[in-house]
Amino acid sequence: MDMELIQQIRDKARSLLEEGTVEGVIGYERASDGVTARPFFAYKPSATERLIFDETCAHNLVKYLLNKKGKKMAVVVKPCDSRAINLLLNEEQIERDKVFIIGVGCPGMVETNWNHKSETLQAKCRSCQLFKPVVYDFLAGGELERQAEEETYSDIAKAEAESLATRREFWLEQFSRCIRCYACRQVCPGCYCPVCFAERLEPLWVGIRIAPEENEMWQTIRSFHLAGRCIGCNECERVCPVDIPLSLLNRKLEKDVKELFAFQAGLDPEEQPPFATFKKEEKLEFGE
Amino acid sequence: MDPESPFIPYLATLKTATQLTPDIKLLSVELEDPDIKAGFDYKPGQFALLSAFGEGEAPFGIVSLPQQRDGLEFAVRRIGTVTRALQELEPGDTLGVRGPFGNYFPLEDYGGKNIIIIGGGIGMAPLRPVINRILERRDDYEELVIINGARTPQDLVFQPEFPTWMEAPRTRLELTVDKGDEQWKGRVALVPDVVKELAPSPDNAIAIICGPPIMIRFTLAGLRDLGFKDDQIVTTLEAKMKCGLGKCARCNIGEKYVCQDGPVFTLEQISQFLEQP
Amino acid sequence: MNLFASKDDLIRWLDSLLQERIVVAPVRVEEQTMFQPISKVEEIAFDFDNTTLSPKGWFLPPTETLFSVQRDDGQVELVPTLVEQDAVLFGLHPCDARGIALMDKPFLQEPSDALYRERRSRTALVGLACRQVQPECFCTSMGSAPDDPSNVDILLTEVEDGYVVQAVTEKGKTLLPQGLAEYEGKVPTPPKPQAVPTKEVVSAMRELFNDPYWEQLGDRCLHCNICAYVCPTCYCFDMRDYADRGKVERVRSWESCQSPGFSLTAGGYDPRTTKGERLRQRFYHKLLYFPEQFQDVACVGCGRCVRECPVNIDIREVISDLQQVREAKSGS
Repeated sequence: MDMELIQQIRDKARSLLEEGTVEGVIGYERASDGVTARPFFAYKPSATERLIFDETCAHNLVKYLLNKKGKKMAVVVKPCDSRAINLLLNEEQIERDKVFIIGVGCPGMVETNWNHKSETLQAKCRSCQLFKPVVYDFLAGGELERQAEEETYSDIAKAEAESLATRREFWLEQFSRCIRCYACRQVCPGCYCPVCFAERLEPLWVGIRIAPEENEMWQTIRSFHLAGRCIGCNECERVCPVDIPLSLLNRKLEKDVKELFAFQAGLDPEEQPPFATFKKEEKLEFGE
Repeated sequence: MDPESPFIPYLATLKTATQLTPDIKLLSVELEDPDIKAGFDYKPGQFALLSAFGEGEAPFGIVSLPQQRDGLEFAVRRIGTVTRALQELEPGDTLGVRGPFGNYFPLEDYGGKNIIIIGGGIGMAPLRPVINRILERRDDYEELVIINGARTPQDLVFQPEFPTWMEAPRTRLELTVDKGDEQWKGRVALVPDVVKELAPSPDNAIAIICGPPIMIRFTLAGLRDLGFKDDQIVTTLEAKMKCGLGKCARCNIGEKYVCQDGPVFTLEQISQFLEQP
Repeated sequence: MNLFASKDDLIRWLDSLLQERIVVAPVRVEEQTMFQPISKVEEIAFDFDNTTLSPKGWFLPPTETLFSVQRDDGQVELVPTLVEQDAVLFGLHPCDARGIALMDKPFLQEPSDALYRERRSRTALVGLACRQVQPECFCTSMGSAPDDPSNVDILLTEVEDGYVVQAVTEKGKTLLPQGLAEYEGKVPTPPKPQAVPTKEVVSAMRELFNDPYWEQLGDRCLHCNICAYVCPTCYCFDMRDYADRGKVERVRSWESCQSPGFSLTAGGYDPRTTKGERLRQRFYHKLLYFPEQFQDVACVGCGRCVRECPVNIDIREVISDLQQVREAKSGS
């Protein structure tokens, strides 16, 4: 662990709380296995001693800001997480003056399970091009020198090369394992509808049945709701208890939106996402 | 319900559907199997789960008097998918009934007492069989005051029974609405304010209340101010009930199962709950 | 009297069972192991720590049809789903077997759940004692043990060259194949899981209902359903009709007290609105309400929730925290 980095985070968190600038700091602490990390909410200056930061801090903490609306909170963000801040600012779900962003230059997160920390970087980190958060109030650790190990979307390019029938079969098999725990939705900063479409009875988009066809509806509709909005934190895939490779689906849509609209969510808090805007000069093909 | 398979409803036929208010209908339902019909014993306060096949099930207080085997009555307010489907049934259509579930108002214990019934909107539904049972055995009870409130005059529930209630001996029916209309000549006041105005005495009295949470909250405060003790105030709790059997744990309020330990509770009992409703 | 079965004996036996019954066993699915009905004995994974989902799904499936509604000339008939076949649930660890025994309490209590009851009486349980324990296991603190035979019909313990076979019930005895030799060797000592102090937990729960501990813990909870769905003893469910594909069916599916909207009534009233209140409900159901109703804590120490919770809400930590909080309160 980089103790200097951690000390910077702790000191900043402590002074924010001591000065009353924020009501709480959302960061990471050591998990009960002594190996990995978990989210931690510090409300008192003394609690900031528990804050850590290392390569097991994969969680995207930005989602928690939505539970603390109206309160000024500080949050520790990695570069990918910081895109979620821009997304939520852009969609007017959080206010800029209600969040103090403690940005961290990120060395990449490793794959972890409970009580197990591997040496392998997570897939999203292997192709990451952001080494410093895109928005922050305080930067701990400074900008890192790091080269992306892989081409962005290299795993997606491989999957795209398969035939449509193969791809469909693959996804139906993956979705058949889904138990509709909704962890993917709950952890996602882009999923914040007060009543999710999956909970609605009218119209009945999905219903309560936990079965392959309903699972397929759930997963595909959620992916489409995230198209142009997914910021690629891959938390959905990390939390899935049955190992469905959700980030493939969500990043594929991110790739398509990038190619079609030259847009990536979360890089600029001002730029409107393509599906929320209408530009006269866009060609629509039918009736034009 | 079928003890072999308690999730399978009894089949019943809708006999009549009477519009009570713009969104509340009184459904009268006859169980199809004569043995089940004969054995369907229930008391005021208990509920049944009605199935609109194709939509699902929802819980409703049984508002008829127990000896009315020909028609089990339910007051259904249109508020969701199942209630809408139940309201769309025509006489002759089939629906499902599971029950009776839950506990009941211990009316025998209230003998010789003054009874104050306070209902708001659809909350009058579970109170109706209590009123009718008291009127049936009028001499067993002392004064009866019924405070019946609703949003508007059209929303007052059980209007066809008001004359009977008003003319019963030692009985007062006090109606009130939140907002009147051109024809309305009666009281325009919130139910808790009516309670304050009438100031019933807590001596030898039992207050039975049912209505929207906000009405209950303020009415409770008013009753307590008048000196009512928590064991003199009775209510019936609303919860999201699904199985009615104490199995799905949906209706847990703390360790209580509203479908088994309730839905009728005194304030005294509720104040002891670990989790407050 | 213990018997001995070589791996070949076991496979032959399972093969013969497969001819007449459904056999549900641990199967490797990608990187995980899941309980599934098998079509060939080769599919069984004999070597696994524990499955991601518990085997409760055999008795209370994630989704099942309770009955279908048939309409003929205006006559309505309700056709209940029937349990048609005998089954063997093979390879469950003692913790999971105890989970099933705990689920029996609400489901078999009168009036009993017909589908659960039928499956239960028609399914034989063949347990597999644990050769090793994981850091997250704590079954001995929750009324079970890695070699506990209490809740199975037959218990297998792996030894060199095969398995020690213990017929625990009459049903188990009749299920076993003929000709198995007696086992005269030693039964290996079971491994020791970590202990979690649970003596005072039920009484601590009673006192700490309104403690700020729950809102603090609730801060990081995501309110997904993972803990409840992987748990061997969580059993809340939802019921709804489906009228599609030309059929009307009453369907029952898993649900959990953690979902938003679990306790929300149609009229809009919800007794649990904060994250801490919702999180608290699960712990209270398992550690207070269930034991007060059925005399047993509704946790078997399998450690699945500890392993799978994305934000590390650890029931062992909660149990020991509560006792500490209570102690601190009474000390002050």
